[in-house]
Amino acid sequence: MTPDVAQIREALRVVIDPELGVNIVDLGFVYDIAVAEGDVRITMTATTKGCPASGFLKEGVARSAAQVDGVRSVDVVMTFEPAWDPSMISADARAGLGFASVH
Amino acid sequence: MIGGSVSKWTMSYFAMGIAWLFAAEALMIAGFGYPAADIAASGTLVLVHVVAIGWLSMCICGALLQFVPVLVGKALFSEAAALPVLGLLTAGLIALLLGFLALGGRLPPWLWLLPLGATLLVAGFGLFAANLVLTMWYARPLAAAARFVLVGLAALGATAALGTSFAWALAGYGGSVLNAVLEAGIPLHAIAGLGGWLTLTAMGVSYRLLAMFMMSPDVDSGRSRTTLLVGAVTLGLAIAGGLAAIAIQAGLDLVFVLTSICGVATVALYGRDVADLYRKRKRRVLELNTSMAVYAFTSLAASVVLGLALALRGSFAADIGAFVFLIGFGWLSGLVLAKLYKIVAFLTWLETYGPVMGRVPTPRVQDLVVEPRATKWFAAYFASVWLATALLLAGQAPAFRVAAFGMMLATAGIVQELLRTRTLADVTTNARLPQGAKLPRLLHS
Repeated sequence: MTPDVAQIREALRVVIDPELGVNIVDLGFVYDIAVAEGDVRITMTATTKGCPASGFLKEGVARSAAQVDGVRSVDVVMTFEPAWDPSMISADARAGLGFASVH
Repeated sequence: MIGGSVSKWTMSYFAMGIAWLFAAEALMIAGFGYPAADIAASGTLVLVHVVAIGWLSMCICGALLQFVPVLVGKALFSEAAALPVLGLLTAGLIALLLGFLALGGRLPPWLWLLPLGATLLVAGFGLFAANLVLTMWYARPLAAAARFVLVGLAALGATAALGTSFAWALAGYGGSVLNAVLEAGIPLHAIAGLGGWLTLTAMGVSYRLLAMFMMSPDVDSGRSRTTLLVGAVTLGLAIAGGLAAIAIQAGLDLVFVLTSICGVATVALYGRDVADLYRKRKRRVLELNTSMAVYAFTSLAASVVLGLALALRGSFAADIGAFVFLIGFGWLSGLVLAKLYKIVAFLTWLETYGPVMGRVPTPRVQDLVVEPRATKWFAAYFASVWLATALLLAGQAPAFRVAAFGMMLATAGIVQELLRTRTLADVTTNARLPQGAKLPRLLHS
C-alpha cells in the first residue's frame, strides 16, 4: 500500500510549534511532501534559523510520518528558503491566534 | 545536550545568578554597603560586584550560551567549555569579594585575594568570550543582533582589563601607572561594564527575542547598525578617551560630557528600534515576558532622564548611587527577570516534550505558566525598585532597606513561579508527562 500525501499531511498535525500551540501544517511550515512508493521526502521550515525547537520539529515530523501505514522511509529536509512568514499561516489558524492582519 | 539544541548548563547559570541576586538583596536589607556606607566603601564594592558579576553577568552568560547559536544559526563552538567557565566565574567572584572584605578590614589583610579573584574572572570570561567569538567566526556574515554581542564582549574585555589593574593596584603591586588608573579610572570600569558589556549585550539579544516572541519583523539592519555604531562610539570615547585623559593627566569632564551625549543618543535610537518591534508585532496580545519588558525599557528611559536631571542640578556625583541602582535593578535586572520567565518555560518545554513530539499530542509552552499569578510578583518587583530609587534620592537609607525587602519578596515570588514551571506543576492537561517524556532536572538540562 502506498501512502498518499493527504494521509501524511494529516499525520503531521500532531506536531505543534511549541510557542504558538498550532500544528505545523496550519502554520505553513510544511513546504512539500513527495511520496515515491513507501519513501517519503518532506521539505519543511521553522520560524527562525537556529531556533532551539527546529531540531525537535524535524524529528517530530519524521516520527509522525513514519507512523502512517505503508511508509518505508522518511527523509526530512529543513530549509529556510523561502523564509517562513506569518502570511503562510492558514486563515483559520491566524484568526485563532489573534494575529494582526498580515500585509 | 538534547537534540543538539538545548545548552546543558544554561539552567545552572540561571540558578547561580538567582542565588547571587538573593545574596545582594539580603545585603541591602541588612544595610551592608551603599546607601548605609559610602559609595566607595569596601561593602559597596562587594554589593556592586555581587549584582554585576554574580547576578547579571551569570544570567547573561547562561542566556548567551543558548541564544548566540540562535542569533547566528550555528551550534556553539564548544559546549564543554560552559561548566569550567561557571566554576571559574564563581571561584573568581568569591575570591574578589573576600579580597574586598579584606580591604575593608573585615578579614585579615589578605589583599592577594584581589588579583587572584581578578585572574580567575579573566580566565572565566576569557574562555567564555573565546567560545562565543569562535562560534560567531564560523557563522560569518553576522546578523545585526550578534554584532551587538560582539561589541558587548569587547566591552567585557575592557571592563576586565581595568578591573584587573585595580585589583593589582589595591593589592599593592600596581606601580605608578596602575595607581594612576585606579585613582581616576573607576567610572570608566563602570561605564564599560554596565553600559558596554551588560547593556549592549542585553540590547542585542532583546532585538532577537522580542522579534521571536512577538512575531515582529526584524529591525531594519541599517537602523540597528546605526544604534550599535553610536553605542560603540560611546564606549570608545569613554574607555579610550578616558585612558588618554588619565595618561596626559587631564581631567575627565570632557570625556564624560561626550560619553553622556552619545549614550543618550544610543538609548534614544534603541528606544526607536524597540518601539518599532512592538508596533509591528503580529501577535497582538502581549505575553508576560514582553509586557514586563516594557517596564524595564521604561526604567532605562527613566534612568536617562534622571541622569540628565542630576547633571543639570549639579548633583550627579552625589546621587550616582540612585542612578546606577535604577540601571542595575530597573533596566538590566527587570529585563533579565522578564526574559527568564519565558526562557525557563521554553527550555523546559523543549527538554520535556521535544523528544516525544510527533508521537503524542503535547501542551504548548504557555501551558507551563500561569501568567496572571506571576504578574503580581513582577508588578511588586518594579514598584519596589522604583520606590527604592526614590528613597535613595531622598537620602532615606533606613526606608530603602524596607523597599529592598519588598524586592526580595517579589523576587522570591518570581522564582517560585520559575520553579513551578521547571517542575511542570501548572500543566493541567492530560499530556503532562506522556509516555517517553521525563521530568527535567531542576538545575541542568
